[in-house]
Amino acid sequence: MTGDGRGFTLNGKPASLRAPDNAVLVDVLREDHGLHGCRIGCDQAVCGACTVLVDGTPMAACSTFAFEVEGRSVLTIEGVANASDGAPDPIQRAFLEERGFQCGYCTAGMILTTRALLERDPDPTEATIRAWLGAGVCRCTGYSAIISAVHTAARLLRQGSV
Amino acid sequence: MDGLNDKVGGGTRYAFDAALPGMRHAKLLRSPHPHARILGIDASHALALPGVVCVVTGEDAARLPDPHHGFSVRDQPLIAIGKVRYVGDPVAAVVAMDERTALAALELIAVDYEVLEPVPTLDAALAPGAPVLFDEPHPGAPLGVGAGSWSRNEPAPNVLYEYGYARGEIDTDLAGAAHVFTDSFAISRISHYYLEPYSGVARIEDGRIELWTCNQDPFMIRADISRMFGLPVNDICLHSPMIGGGFGGKSYCKLEPLIVLMAMKARAPVRLALTLDESLLTLTKHAGVLTLTTGVDAEGRLIARRSELKLDGGAYADASAMVALKAAYRVTGPYRWKSVFSRASIIRTTTIPAGSYRGFGGTQASYASECQIDMIARRIGLDPYEMRRRNLLDVGEPFAPGDSGMDSDLRRGLDEVCRRLGYHERSQHPGHRNGRGMGLAIGIKDGGGTGNHAQATVTVSHTGAVTVSAATTEIGQGAGSTLCRIATRTLGLPLANARYAPIDTDRTPLNNGTHVSCGTTVTGTAVQRAAEDARAQILEFAAEQLQCPAADLTLEESGQGWAVRRGADLHPLAPLIMSWFGGVGYVFIGRGGIKVPYDERSPVRARNLFWMPSWAGAEVEIDRETGRLRVLQLIVGGDAGHAIDMASCVGQIAGAALQAYGLSLFEELRYRDGAQPENADPRAYRVPMASDLPDRFDCFVEEHGMGPGPFGAKGLGESGMLAVTAALANAIEDATGARVTTTPFTGERILAALDGLDTVVPMDQRSAAE
Ligand code: FES
Ligand code: FES
Repeated sequence: MTGDGRGFTLNGKPASLRAPDNAVLVDVLREDHGLHGCRIGCDQAVCGACTVLVDGTPMAACSTFAFEVEGRSVLTIEGVANASDGAPDPIQRAFLEERGFQCGYCTAGMILTTRALLERDPDPTEATIRAWLGAGVCRCTGYSAIISAVHTAARLLRQGSV
Repeated sequence: MDGLNDKVGGGTRYAFDAALPGMRHAKLLRSPHPHARILGIDASHALALPGVVCVVTGEDAARLPDPHHGFSVRDQPLIAIGKVRYVGDPVAAVVAMDERTALAALELIAVDYEVLEPVPTLDAALAPGAPVLFDEPHPGAPLGVGAGSWSRNEPAPNVLYEYGYARGEIDTDLAGAAHVFTDSFAISRISHYYLEPYSGVARIEDGRIELWTCNQDPFMIRADISRMFGLPVNDICLHSPMIGGGFGGKSYCKLEPLIVLMAMKARAPVRLALTLDESLLTLTKHAGVLTLTTGVDAEGRLIARRSELKLDGGAYADASAMVALKAAYRVTGPYRWKSVFSRASIIRTTTIPAGSYRGFGGTQASYASECQIDMIARRIGLDPYEMRRRNLLDVGEPFAPGDSGMDSDLRRGLDEVCRRLGYHERSQHPGHRNGRGMGLAIGIKDGGGTGNHAQATVTVSHTGAVTVSAATTEIGQGAGSTLCRIATRTLGLPLANARYAPIDTDRTPLNNGTHVSCGTTVTGTAVQRAAEDARAQILEFAAEQLQCPAADLTLEESGQGWAVRRGADLHPLAPLIMSWFGGVGYVFIGRGGIKVPYDERSPVRARNLFWMPSWAGAEVEIDRETGRLRVLQLIVGGDAGHAIDMASCVGQIAGAALQAYGLSLFEELRYRDGAQPENADPRAYRVPMASDLPDRFDCFVEEHGMGPGPFGAKGLGESGMLAVTAALANAIEDATGARVTTTPFTGERILAALDGLDTVVPMDQRSAAE
């Protein structure tokens, strides 16, 4: 938290929010903060490509006003890997291991959704995974490899892998 | 993180992300009418808006040496000239300092239209006296064909193209067959729905054009821009960054010439990034009606088939001609015939242009063919499995006289599907034929392109660092990693040594585009040859240094970097190279290429490089009250010949299969009253989500070892789509005795089939029937 004026926490660091009131979060992240990993697909809260975690909850950045995140903590895909050495976190490792992506356009959203899911349910059933991933579209993979990645990520996290 | 890792870290850059200093932003004004003449465009108010740089219209386009593009029929202006032909046809383009201003300026452009009668359907387009989309024929040579085939551009009003193929005495054979059946199948219009919206950035500097685009065919676009603007190809450079999905929707010329024209007029770099809504208005898969008349003998052996395919090409040619040719040629499936007559026509309608979609007409052809094979089997009392077994081509047997032999074991793949599905045990299930059933299908398409060619280089530094350079774009299929595997395997070096060079047409060796699952086989062969060339140079150099025959040496990676082995002795290469060359070292530059020869004796003017079979099996359960379809199992397999990267092969099958699954169950881009798109936006257009998956979704890849590519590989990126729809329709009939013949297989359609009401709904009544 910046404490002075309008601010929010972005990938663990205090950040200021200079955007006008009608600015959309995805534009602020991409244009003001250079975080292009937050993708724009449908631009209308359907595809999930722009998913970020706001206080741990997945939200469509394309359909969230920037002012809505004031004082809150936003995590984008760029903040997922280890901050000091860039090493992928267990969920990213699982996506790499299971090839949970093809073109990669949906991947940030899928990984962040998985993170939120596994925080709530460390050992999700297949049905739970399908329901959670159903919040986004992947047009490339047929989802099989993404679902395997979620299972693998859950296993890695349960094993206390860091 | 390396290139692959970037996708999980958010670092990958797509054309959508491309940005240049001083870049301006463009937005397009699109036609609200399906068919209208443009009487005038008043952009003065838009130009007066602060921040607007310029407006580009058909008037600017008309001044170019050749403002049209299109594959084989060049009928599409880079922006509407004089007329609009579908809702969404771009009419004016605004360039402004930012997107918001450009959007605001669109509202200020006044277009004066004279509204014309729309031509929304196949029937409307072919009706006597129908309004015509074009008054004049267009330049462009019909696709070349060989023995038994014909190919005609614009043979009749509102008919863009016709391809036909005939062999044998079709009338005699049909007359002499024990049974003859005629069936029609309708397939809906679907959207590619790739996630990265269509985007590009152009800059003109020192008279040279540079373009960053999400298009997968950089050299094709370079040739189009060269012709349209009258510039030599070496004044045009295309960059192809990672592409955020395409499935055919980002192939062939699209908005690139318009972006260039805008950058010229704006005298500044210009970015045009469509929304996904607009991307849906750019291209679709062909809807159509396919009518097959098939004769069989008393034992269920296929004798003769006459096929008439009418495909809805929409307003402009795009790659429609290729789709027609491929659909008609493949509609006989992977079977043996005495005689064949196949004809496909592309009909022009005032709808979104249709073009390439993962398999060029393969899905449409396999769907109709495999449904009918199943129907015939059931009608004559044969198990559909047995009917297929009896008629499948053997390994080595030519698909058609003059064409190449089957290079997959078709029965083996079918048996694998049956095994995974539990097909032969299905009758033991109490629900079988009582709302629960199984269906099979085998799709087939040719792969690798017709007379295709490609070039590649493989450079190896003195430290053994390998750079592979080829123009197969990265669209999610893992092209770079597969080509690097081919190069390093050939060189005997670890994969970690190799990088796939970014693609730009100034430096990258040419290929025809990323199409027809040719990346592994055609470009892969060029890469393999380039790697062999580099290896030969390296070994020759080492042999000279070591004063021995090159044949005594092999390359390998050792504890001290890369080395040549001569018997028991290992000689590290880096010191050897450095002591000879000095300075900053040296690179060995290997070159490779491949050209599949044309052959007039083959029906499509080249023997097909490899065959892509697709085996599918489905188990479904139908709720007889609601018609609701539940897919219990979907099994889909392909043959990679030899899988260079198994995980990516399976991923390609799964991704393609799920697109066909969407098309089968609910995907459809509909038109309201035949004129206005009803659901051409990402919210209303439904694609499969993880929550829609079949209960069991199992994809497999066989390795039959007969591919022509490196190590026996062949492509399979498109094949997973081919057989799914027919397998589902066949399972529905197995479950209920009722046949659906129109996609998607909605509850309403299944109920209608159960009531015995199902007939092919003519295209022009479809929207009314929804
Ligand atoms: S871009 Fe935000 S949900 Fe699709
Ligand atoms: S990997 Fe392309 S959309 Fe998911």
